[in-house]
Amino acid sequence: MDGHASIRPGPDAPAASWVDGLVLAGLGALVAGLVAFARRWHAPLATAAAIDLSPRALPGYALLSLARGFAAYGLSLAVTLVYATAAAHSAAAARILIPLLDVLQSIPVLGFLPGLVLGLVALFPHSNAGLELACIVMIFTGQAWNMIFSFYASLRGIPTELREAGILFRLGRWRYFRTVELPAATIGLVWNSMMSMAGGWFFLTVCEAFTLGNRDFRLPGVGAYVSAAIDRGDGRAEAAGLVAMAAMILATDQLVWRPLVAWSARFRLEDTAPGVEARSWVLALLGRSGLLRRLAALARRRRRVPPRPGPRAGGRAAGVLRAAGRSVLVALGLGVALGVGQLARYLAAVPAAGWGRLGAALAATTLRTAATVALAAAWTVPAGILIGRSARLAPRLQPAIQMLASFPAPMLYPLVTGVLLAVGLPFSLIAVALMLLGAQWYVLFNVIAGASAIPGDLREAADGFRLAGWTRWRTLELPVVFPYLVTGLITAAGGAWNASIVAELVRFRGRTLVTTGLGALITEATAAGDFPLLAAGVLTMALTVVGLNRFGWRRLYRLAETRYALLR
Amino acid sequence: MTAAAPIVEGRRVSKRFRDEAGRVREVLRDVDLTVTDGEIVCLLGPSGCGKSTLLRVLVGLLPPDGGEVLAHGRPLHGLHPGAAIVFQSFALYPWLTVADNVRIGLGGRAVGSEEEVVRVQGAVDLVGLTGFERAYPRELSGGMKQRVGIARALVGGPELLGMDEPFSALDVLTAETLRSEVARLWTEGRMGLRAILMITHLIEEAIVLGDRIVVLGANPGTVRAVVANALPHPRQPGTAAFQELVRSVHDIICTTHMPDVVPPSAPPPSAVLPLPRARIAQVVGVLGLLAERGGELDVYALDRLTGFDFGHTIAVVKAAELLGLVDTPHDRVVLTAEGRGLLAADVAGRKQRLGARLRELPTFRYVLDLLARAGGEVPRELLAEEVAMHLPAESPSEAVRTLLDWGRFAGVLTYDPETGMVARAPASALHAARAAR
Repeated sequence: MDGHASIRPGPDAPAASWVDGLVLAGLGALVAGLVAFARRWHAPLATAAAIDLSPRALPGYALLSLARGFAAYGLSLAVTLVYATAAAHSAAAARILIPLLDVLQSIPVLGFLPGLVLGLVALFPHSNAGLELACIVMIFTGQAWNMIFSFYASLRGIPTELREAGILFRLGRWRYFRTVELPAATIGLVWNSMMSMAGGWFFLTVCEAFTLGNRDFRLPGVGAYVSAAIDRGDGRAEAAGLVAMAAMILATDQLVWRPLVAWSARFRLEDTAPGVEARSWVLALLGRSGLLRRLAALARRRRRVPPRPGPRAGGRAAGVLRAAGRSVLVALGLGVALGVGQLARYLAAVPAAGWGRLGAALAATTLRTAATVALAAAWTVPAGILIGRSARLAPRLQPAIQMLASFPAPMLYPLVTGVLLAVGLPFSLIAVALMLLGAQWYVLFNVIAGASAIPGDLREAADGFRLAGWTRWRTLELPVVFPYLVTGLITAAGGAWNASIVAELVRFRGRTLVTTGLGALITEATAAGDFPLLAAGVLTMALTVVGLNRFGWRRLYRLAETRYALLR
Repeated sequence: MTAAAPIVEGRRVSKRFRDEAGRVREVLRDVDLTVTDGEIVCLLGPSGCGKSTLLRVLVGLLPPDGGEVLAHGRPLHGLHPGAAIVFQSFALYPWLTVADNVRIGLGGRAVGSEEEVVRVQGAVDLVGLTGFERAYPRELSGGMKQRVGIARALVGGPELLGMDEPFSALDVLTAETLRSEVARLWTEGRMGLRAILMITHLIEEAIVLGDRIVVLGANPGTVRAVVANALPHPRQPGTAAFQELVRSVHDIICTTHMPDVVPPSAPPPSAVLPLPRARIAQVVGVLGLLAERGGELDVYALDRLTGFDFGHTIAVVKAAELLGLVDTPHDRVVLTAEGRGLLAADVAGRKQRLGARLRELPTFRYVLDLLARAGGEVPRELLAEEVAMHLPAESPSEAVRTLLDWGRFAGVLTYDPETGMVARAPASALHAARAAR
């Protein structure tokens, strides 16, 4: 990105040396953390690390989990840049890559787990690197997809004349990417990165502690800590783990995402100033660091004598990019072909009884997902509209709701299960509540966004005609919110399917509660090392989710776009 | 490079696009155009006549589907080596400062960093933006943004400057200021250019700047006439010579778009003909304007009153003429008895009269016949396909939209967006009113 993207001090913010101290301390901590993380990678292989449940061990675990989350995020970012750029620049590639993305997105994490773990651990038999890599890639599978979608949509959405100017003035492939595409996609990418980090934490308990066949795998981290606390029924350690997780999320939000959101506002495509400026105290603080200002000035000066890439260098870069794109496509094709072959062999090995079990499980989880989505809509639509139409409430509650949504719901499952068991609910229904726990926020979030987007003139017209109560909801609020609601419901449904994996089989005070369902079946198949059944289960779930999106949700989406669109 | 070869030359250039329904639409057909050293060529035409496409083909942003483009006498592959464009929407990168945006215009050109700074500053100074180098586009007004756009186009020292409706996104006063500044920079030779190719839909703008005015017709875009303009700079719109030229360009546009005499090759009167793309409500509005001014106006005065762009005023007048509501002797527009009758009627009466006129139009007769054969209603897509078959040059979705606008307004057709079905309107006024609601 170009030099203006450096930190610019506010006019009324004098440089402060204590901020420099903070910056240096932060850098030091980062380096120390990286060294510790790297040491763990080199340590001899310990597939099932002993988890120390004393609170003193927690900060270390939190840092390890955080490092994994960010490593996975780095991987997601790299994959996003390559994958989405390839798809955006070639119609042929897009025809393969975009539907493939739809499928990949709907594969639950356990579908990737056995292959990754067995493959990577075999690759590094004497160090933890393989296991750590496997864990990182599993977290990655919960992060990457919506970032790719967002980046792809941003690239496709660059206005024609901006694109033509880039071609006409011969920016060259690489400079065009740097000065046009990357900035144009930044806002969407930052928002989706925030969502992705949250998505990545969701399965942290699973990614850091799982059984595969007869082997227990456990990596030191907050996820494994909480899962161990649940297993041993240690309530106090469990609570400590939850607090650590919340602290991690809060810290990442305040130290990383808020500053990035505030910073990325400069990449708005439209010319008008936004209603509310995003603010970040961290960014404001960093602006007061004399050290960073000097560094920024240095960077600017360096840029003034730029090593001019001649047209030839641009051509070479373009060639490299094209070759890279092609090799990615070839690799993907090979991978898919191999995967399909293996899948066919697995599916052939599933006995008839297995298919019968699968059908029943699919029916149960479909019902449970439908119930989850309906329940989510039932409470979030009225609540969301009430919050959203208050100009005072919405901006205050929005960040809090976002935090709630980021918290990995599976860590709360034992708590909720305990309460609901005491009430006397059967576990097959409790599973719905557990799925709801994570999924409902997506709906609430979108409904609030929709309700706060009700145009002022429509609202005034409703006031003027004295529309109130149900009439007002029916004629004004529900239609305006509808497109947002559909988006929220689709995301929630996807989340519910995914959550069924952890919600239909729960460890609770040393007991294992299980109910019929596709999620439970997949979890059990993983634990038992029954790969044919696991493959069949994962495939069924992926196909169901893709099919529902294609044939069910898309129709609602079209209705939302045509009848209830506010623009046009 | 021979001295005589034009900077750019299009020979029998054709261009086709696929519309959203996947049908091929011809945008340009057999267009010949040359731009030579030392001239400003203005492309003048109604919206949708393919003038922006023509500009993009000539600078090499789009390849032609037929014909060829020559730069200095050699076939053009890829971008024209000496062309730059000023865009209608400015096309500035909002995250770059004014100076960085202008620097983009140097592109991949290898210039030393010293020279780069000098060149950027020179371009910024030339367009009067000195002092705004570190501002961001969103801090600037529209006119200032377009100044950045001009500086960016000039900084690389192009020989040919393409301007795609450069002033149409600006308010009238700002546009006027910027236009005369461009004219002055050009006549003083300070832009370092050898030629300008400008697109506009305003006759006066074309005459202020253009040494040659190329009038384009629409659907598909073809060259209708070329007018030479030898008026000395600075050209004052108030002078008699200027107004004389305006009038003659007006005449050319009127005779190409509103012919008095039916050309001998015209199709028989029973044929399905395209409807002018005008809303019926606009037709009625124009009748009202005429009635208020004694029932007669010349088309330019009418154009000024409507505030549409000239091409659209012509479309509305043509629609009124098709319905027998006005006559157009030469460039006059005269209200007919039928037109007066329509204005005198109440809402239901207007509906009824318009309905009667529409039912006589071959195009509507054809549609009503189609509906009768199909048992009273057909899906909108089917109607679009039928239209596409009879009027291959039209965009079917546009044509059907006009058809439905007229038919629903006059109570001849109904359309239900829920089911997507087009049907004959029931005869009773009550039903018609309900359907219109």
